[in-house]
Amino acid sequence: MPARLKKAGLPYLLLLPGLGFLAVFFLVPLVIMWIESLKTGTIDTGFTLTWEFSNYTDALSDYNEQFLRSFEYAGLATLFALLIGYPLAYVIAFRGGRWRNALLLAVIVPFFVTYLLRTISWETILSDDGLVLDVLRGIGIVSENGRLLDTTVSVVAGITYNYLPFMILPLYASLERIDGRLLEAGYDLYGRRRDVFLRVTLPLSMPGVVAGTLLTFIPAAGDFINAELLGTPRQYMIGNVIQSRYLEVADYPTAAALSFLLMAFMLIIVLIWARIAGTEALLGTEGERR
Amino acid sequence: MSPTNDDLERHFERLLRDPLTRRRLMQRGAAGALSVSALAYLAACGTDEPSGGGNGGSEEQAETIAKGEVGSQLYVANWPLYIDEERNSLKAFEKEYGAKVKYVEEINDNTEFFGKVRQQYDQGTSGGRDIHVVTDWMAARMMRLGYVQKFDKSELPNATKNLIPSLQSPPFDPKREQSMPWQSGLGGIVYRKDKVKSTPKSVDALFDPDYKGKVTMLTEMRDTVGVVAAWQGADPETASVDEFMEAIDKIQEGVDSGQIRGFTGNEYTKDITKGDSWVIIGWSGDAVQLKADNPNVDFLVPESGGHLWTDNMQIPVGAPEAYTAQKFIDFVYRPEIQADIAEYVNYICPVSGVKEILAERDPALAENQLIFPDDQFLENTFIFRGLKPEEEQELDDAFQQVIGA
Repeated sequence: MPARLKKAGLPYLLLLPGLGFLAVFFLVPLVIMWIESLKTGTIDTGFTLTWEFSNYTDALSDYNEQFLRSFEYAGLATLFALLIGYPLAYVIAFRGGRWRNALLLAVIVPFFVTYLLRTISWETILSDDGLVLDVLRGIGIVSENGRLLDTTVSVVAGITYNYLPFMILPLYASLERIDGRLLEAGYDLYGRRRDVFLRVTLPLSMPGVVAGTLLTFIPAAGDFINAELLGTPRQYMIGNVIQSRYLEVADYPTAAALSFLLMAFMLIIVLIWARIAGTEALLGTEGERR
Repeated sequence: MSPTNDDLERHFERLLRDPLTRRRLMQRGAAGALSVSALAYLAACGTDEPSGGGNGGSEEQAETIAKGEVGSQLYVANWPLYIDEERNSLKAFEKEYGAKVKYVEEINDNTEFFGKVRQQYDQGTSGGRDIHVVTDWMAARMMRLGYVQKFDKSELPNATKNLIPSLQSPPFDPKREQSMPWQSGLGGIVYRKDKVKSTPKSVDALFDPDYKGKVTMLTEMRDTVGVVAAWQGADPETASVDEFMEAIDKIQEGVDSGQIRGFTGNEYTKDITKGDSWVIIGWSGDAVQLKADNPNVDFLVPESGGHLWTDNMQIPVGAPEAYTAQKFIDFVYRPEIQADIAEYVNYICPVSGVKEILAERDPALAENQLIFPDDQFLENTFIFRGLKPEEEQELDDAFQQVIGA
């Protein structure tokens, strides 16, 4: 009996540290933030809990533009990351050969440098008098007084770049474990390359696609560094608003309400996406079943 | 977004600013020395603050610092790179008083710092801080909330004697009982000589279509709104909220049309150096520095007026070594100590007698109007009036919306 009990209790025991950590550092702050979001007041008078649910509606009507922009930019960046990342992951997984690990390392190494520094370098690279713009002007892609830095293009490009590894790595992981025999079987059955890709490789890599898009989209929607450094107020995303509400204006209730709204929207989007892509793909079980 | 992200944001924010801090110091501090003659003018602006300052009926009575012993440690919270690089001034203090100075460059932004310390200060603890340095309006807020102690002026003989007259009675602290200037500076126009078609004379240049997309302004509301309001004909020393709102509307137009590229803290120094911005609102102290590195950068006090501000030392309630802190404040008011600081930071320094010392070390420095402005130079400056808390909230709110948040 005690042995059985032990056996039954062990998993829970093992869960304890993780649950405890989440309770203290996730759940408690979340509750505090929720309470904060329902307060009214100013920094001078202090904030009092008045169950001010209008904080949410006000935040939404004041900042719907930035919300929409966040999802637009994050969506675009996710799409571009997928378009760039998939072929790259594919080549590494199937054609990498002995270079595989080196290539993977090459994907990751730039990210040893801090996020901020990399974004600041982009700022320099894309600068109005910088090299990239000189070239683009030279070949006529950008007009004489056109610019790249501080535009939607630079912000989306920055986000795409910064979250690219989060796309590539899960894609690689799911492509890499595809059983080569399945592809051979496809060819044996007279599948053309395109058919084999569309009907075997792509479906089997869906867990990677879903994981990659989520890992890119979620942080990208909350990002504020790219819009801050590579954009202007007209490119600001919801993260910039929360940042400034919280730190500059010291309007904690609105900042908290905005954070909750962002979480809620994100949850809805993720659920819809899971619906479309299928929960098996989301949980990565489709590949296992084979 | 989870709360941990808020911390991250704050952390990033700090990272973001830290590498640039050499300038930051200039930004906030830009204190140069107001020459004695300027005092008359400043004193004049100072007298008519309509509100705001530290004399509301509701504020708690500040405690005067009791006499005591010099402690073994002193915690000074200041802006980055706002003191001589070698920290000789601190070493001299340690040597003379035997108190070790823990000098922490933890203030990057008035509001951010306030957010960080508010809870501690509210509970009457200072988080170990003995001195913090904040800009006028924030110093006023600290006083209003009863977060800072009252000096025992008999312990501040040098400060009393050497504080330049122009700064002796600001509206928010007419007797300098709870604040003592660290440095001052000016918000005005910084521009690239090699990029503009002609030398800008006024704020007109910021709205000149030829510079579309090459204009930035500061995220510090008083600098940006003050300079624009003054240009629109308002007097920021007395202007109504509506007049400031008009300036904010004008700035909004500039944002909508793409005229204004963005709003910056100190990082404008790199934008203008790279040529991403040409005509901007910036700080005088930076200009001195930038000009040394790049002769194409210049600073202009617009004819309609530049914004004059001061950063102040205060002793928070609950400071463990308030008595020692007072000694420190008085110590930096010795001209020979201040000269080291002024020589490095290039701001307007609030201590008389420093110009004479620097004239021997580096005559060019002593001649620089941006470091030691004369009263004719300061004729063209204004002090942003004290705002009532609700006015401040309203303007901050509107301004933050314009700058994109």
